Amino acid sequence: MDTKRFEMTRRAALMTSAAIAANVINPMRAFAQETPRRGGVFFVHYGAEQRQLNPSLQASTGVYIIGGKIQENLVDLDANGQPVGVLAESWEASPDGKTITFKLRKGVTWHDGKPFTSADVQFTAMNMWKKILNYGTTLQLFLTAVDTPDPLTAVFRYERPMPLNLLLRALPDLGYVSAKHLYENGDIRQNPHNLAPVGTGPFKFVQYERGQYIIAERNPNYWRPNAPYLDRIVWRVITDRSAAAAQMEAGQLHYSPFSGLTISDMARLAKDKRFIVSTKGNEGNARTNTIEFNFRRKELADIRVRRAIAHAINVPFFIENFLGDFAKLGTGPIPSTSTDFYPGPDTPQYPYDKALATKLLDEAGFKKGADGTRFSLRLLPAPWGEDISLWATFVQQALGEVGIKVEIVRNDGGGFLRQVYNDWNFDLATGWHQYRSDPAVSTTVWYRSGQPKGAPWTNQWGWQDAAVDKVIDDAATELDPVKRKALYAEFVKRVNTELPIWMPIEQIFVTVISAKARNHSNTPRWGSSSWHDLWLAE
Amino acid sequence: MRILSLAGRRLAASIPTLILILIGVFLLLQFAPGDTVDAMMAQMGGGDAATARQLRQFYGLDLSVPAQLGNYLWRLVRFDLGFSSIYGKPVATVIAERLPPTILLMTASLSFAFFFGLVFGVIAARGVNKWPDTIISTLGLVFYATPSFWFGLMAIVVFSVYLQWLPPGGFEDIGLAHTGIWRTLDIARHLILPTLTLGLIFLAIYLRIMRASMLEVLNLDFVRTARAKGLDETRVIVRHVLRNALLPMVTLIGLQAGTMLGGSVVVESVFSLPGLGRLAYESVVQRDLNTLLGIIFVSALVVIAVNFVVDILYARLDPRISAEV
Amino acid sequence: MTFLRLYFRSPPAVIGLLLLVLVLLMALSAGWIFPRDPLSLAGRPLLWPLQNPRFWLGTDNSGRDIAAQIFYGARISLLIGVVATFIAIAIGVVIGALAGYYGRRVDNVLMRITEAFQTLPNFLLLLVLVAVFGSTLTTVTIAIGVVSWPAPARLTRAEFLSLRNREFVQAGRTLGMRDARLIFGEILPNALPPVIVYASVVMAVAILLESALAFLRLSDPNVASWGNLIGLGRDVLRVQWYVSAIPGVAILVTVLAVSLVGQGLNDALNPRLKGR
Repeated sequence: MDTKRFEMTRRAALMTSAAIAANVINPMRAFAQETPRRGGVFFVHYGAEQRQLNPSLQASTGVYIIGGKIQENLVDLDANGQPVGVLAESWEASPDGKTITFKLRKGVTWHDGKPFTSADVQFTAMNMWKKILNYGTTLQLFLTAVDTPDPLTAVFRYERPMPLNLLLRALPDLGYVSAKHLYENGDIRQNPHNLAPVGTGPFKFVQYERGQYIIAERNPNYWRPNAPYLDRIVWRVITDRSAAAAQMEAGQLHYSPFSGLTISDMARLAKDKRFIVSTKGNEGNARTNTIEFNFRRKELADIRVRRAIAHAINVPFFIENFLGDFAKLGTGPIPSTSTDFYPGPDTPQYPYDKALATKLLDEAGFKKGADGTRFSLRLLPAPWGEDISLWATFVQQALGEVGIKVEIVRNDGGGFLRQVYNDWNFDLATGWHQYRSDPAVSTTVWYRSGQPKGAPWTNQWGWQDAAVDKVIDDAATELDPVKRKALYAEFVKRVNTELPIWMPIEQIFVTVISAKARNHSNTPRWGSSSWHDLWLAE
Repeated sequence: MRILSLAGRRLAASIPTLILILIGVFLLLQFAPGDTVDAMMAQMGGGDAATARQLRQFYGLDLSVPAQLGNYLWRLVRFDLGFSSIYGKPVATVIAERLPPTILLMTASLSFAFFFGLVFGVIAARGVNKWPDTIISTLGLVFYATPSFWFGLMAIVVFSVYLQWLPPGGFEDIGLAHTGIWRTLDIARHLILPTLTLGLIFLAIYLRIMRASMLEVLNLDFVRTARAKGLDETRVIVRHVLRNALLPMVTLIGLQAGTMLGGSVVVESVFSLPGLGRLAYESVVQRDLNTLLGIIFVSALVVIAVNFVVDILYARLDPRISAEV
Repeated sequence: MTFLRLYFRSPPAVIGLLLLVLVLLMALSAGWIFPRDPLSLAGRPLLWPLQNPRFWLGTDNSGRDIAAQIFYGARISLLIGVVATFIAIAIGVVIGALAGYYGRRVDNVLMRITEAFQTLPNFLLLLVLVAVFGSTLTTVTIAIGVVSWPAPARLTRAEFLSLRNREFVQAGRTLGMRDARLIFGEILPNALPPVIVYASVVMAVAILLESALAFLRLSDPNVASWGNLIGLGRDVLRVQWYVSAIPGVAILVTVLAVSLVGQGLNDALNPRLKGR
């Protein structure tokens, strides 16, 4: 990885421990010469409807793609992937790491006209992030109080040290603020505003017809001057991905986010001048494809078998023929897009080597039977994503070649999570590990022992390693960013050696967007961001 | 009046059936791997154990099965279908939103199948074993054998992708924000392919039944008499034969109502229609027990209602029954 | 022999039989023509038919040979069709026989249950069953059988109702025959022919149901099934429509063959109704 970039991020990370004034103006790079056009309706493909739209309560791209335009976060990421203030203007951590103070933006109002204050931040943090928000409950586990000395200051108090750079990395996703006056009475989960969100963002909620569309319109009182440019955003609910591709071609959609189209349609539209097909703007939403091993199977508890399985699968071939340009070879749980933590590829890797795989299996004592089979495994693929199902088929084919018979067991979403993470009723499982800016937020739970049974996307493999546990715990409370990075490099090295889960493919979501759109894909989580500067050319 | 009371009694008799179905499906779903909260976590794309535990408590999933069933039935007595955990709304609202497209689709398909089944059936029966009959009967067989989802997909390829005459899916074009008659026309345009797709197999069935019952009736004494009286053929067909031959067709509507609802699951999925069928599929996959039971309740009601209407229609059509009244 | 003569006199019935034999031959010869696992990687994904002469029907999005899957799929469709039909007819005959023979309370209870199954849209029940018990070949087949029995049950019941007071049954009763003997030994053989003919309808529907399930990706992914292929092809429908089109034709032909044979049998059994 290039050292200059590293230096830059390191310096930036160091700087964040001192207060830095947030720069809210995004550099208008590619289209600086054009004058933004006011007006227009932006049509967005919405593939998976969610239970609710409030991003303070649910961290998922399916919520951000809508709620992220209506409600805002304390901090977002800028074009270089660095934290930039949105509702917070600046921040500061105490030397012991237990107090983090946010100065809030002045003159911001909710869509209903009430002023935005630190009481809103306090209410949201204590009642939503800490209690309800997925990932948030873990992140804010040691948050004890949020003090509000004045309407524009919120002081977060932690029981244990909270690395500032961890919090700032997490807040773009886990730091959306809701209005206290709308949520303080009654049950938060059943609050009607969850389906008709009220925020401070550039767009105001208008209407939601479930199964059909959602509409938001321009907020004329938005705090950023002259923003936003668009009159309206309309999200069309289209579950059939090939139908969505047709609507893109017919000009009825401008944007299909988060790999919402089929791989073959994306490859086709990439050749069409009317569209831009790219992974740009999704760097913050990297994911890796997994192979999860159940150590309760004696064969899989043998490290030679796990390594043999990894060596038996020709990952580059799979990527080239099935995923195309939208994926690359993975090197472990921390993806290469994570500039702050990526340890480089110099950790144990498992290149395709069928002979070695056969040798390892023979050594482990699992000889081929009369029918050419060594043993059988049940593989449970997660039902989200075309790539997972193709990958499962490919794994089945590849392992068959070395004498491991694989039976694919298909489940729907709920069934998959229950079978794998609660009932442990699997031998191999495959799905996505979604990386969320910091390993402590999304990744280490896959490896740390002592996860409660039934918690999805956590270590339920029947595997435990004291050294790995220690590195994980040390890194989570390490305040020095350089030392944290080193600890995570150590972590990757260890888990790639032991291989309780294999993460051989790295993917970034693919955006398909109309070439008329301007100022798009200009931050690492653009699909989730507020789109205050997005505009449509004639 | 006797007809009404007869039909009324049949209606009352269907209440135990309904309860049987609901309890059966409720218990069946208890065996399913994963519950609503698992499905929710899947939908969120991430979460932790604390979130899951809280959600389970919130939706009453930590209660015992008999307690949950008891709660459900007690609510049902008060005409409360419960709250959908996935949609965050009362189930009655969710279903009410999704019912119109399905009712529209079913009515359209049924009318299409009934009308063309009748016409083709009559044509085939009148020229029995001649070339129109052969063509119609063969087409009927082919339609019957065509998987509806496949027909839908191929129709999309031809009419939406290549010819670009019709929209490939959806219920209406929201981008254009039509009102009044334009909106109606727009919805109609969107429903052409789904209607054909869903109606095809029923068209095949109706035309076969119509043809067979026409042939049967044409040989009956009163038709011969009517012909012997010198009435012209068209009048014989319309006045005497059709009325009698319609009886089995009407019965079939009642029998097929459930099948049609089942078929709409697939068709709505092919054409991304926001209807009851797709809702049913989604609520099975998302383990949204309340919504699923609500749908089963409503679709059973639809089936029962259709049969009620069929009973009355039958009585009006069948001279023997009306003579007794 | 008159039966066979009657059957072969009807051209559609002969065509149906020929098609069915063709499908059967495909099923039997699959392992011989395509010795490799039909689900194994065969070549580049999404090759058009004949683009590579090795794959005369092309490859699907997983790089598997479509022709091989069509041949092996014939096995699966026929297997599911036959077994599910057998299950449905078995359940239906028993319930229909009991209801028709005993009448009154038994009839009432059994018909209530049948009605419940008929009121509930069968595809919906099938979805629930598959979601609950999983998507293996066995569960899918049983589930299809379980949702398909009400019609045969009603048919059997109707036959029993008309037969139970016939002389030969009365005679059996006076001879002191036990109910089981009367039901299965005396009445059933006479009630069975129309039920057997109806089995062709059940089988046709069973094949269609499985393909619809597979299309929704709820069928067994470890077998080469036509429905799976159509469902897979949906993702590439707009350009590589052949992935979905080819297996659809296979289903159409098979269901058509089964229906034609069923109709031929019906006509041959009831020569009076010929031409209906």
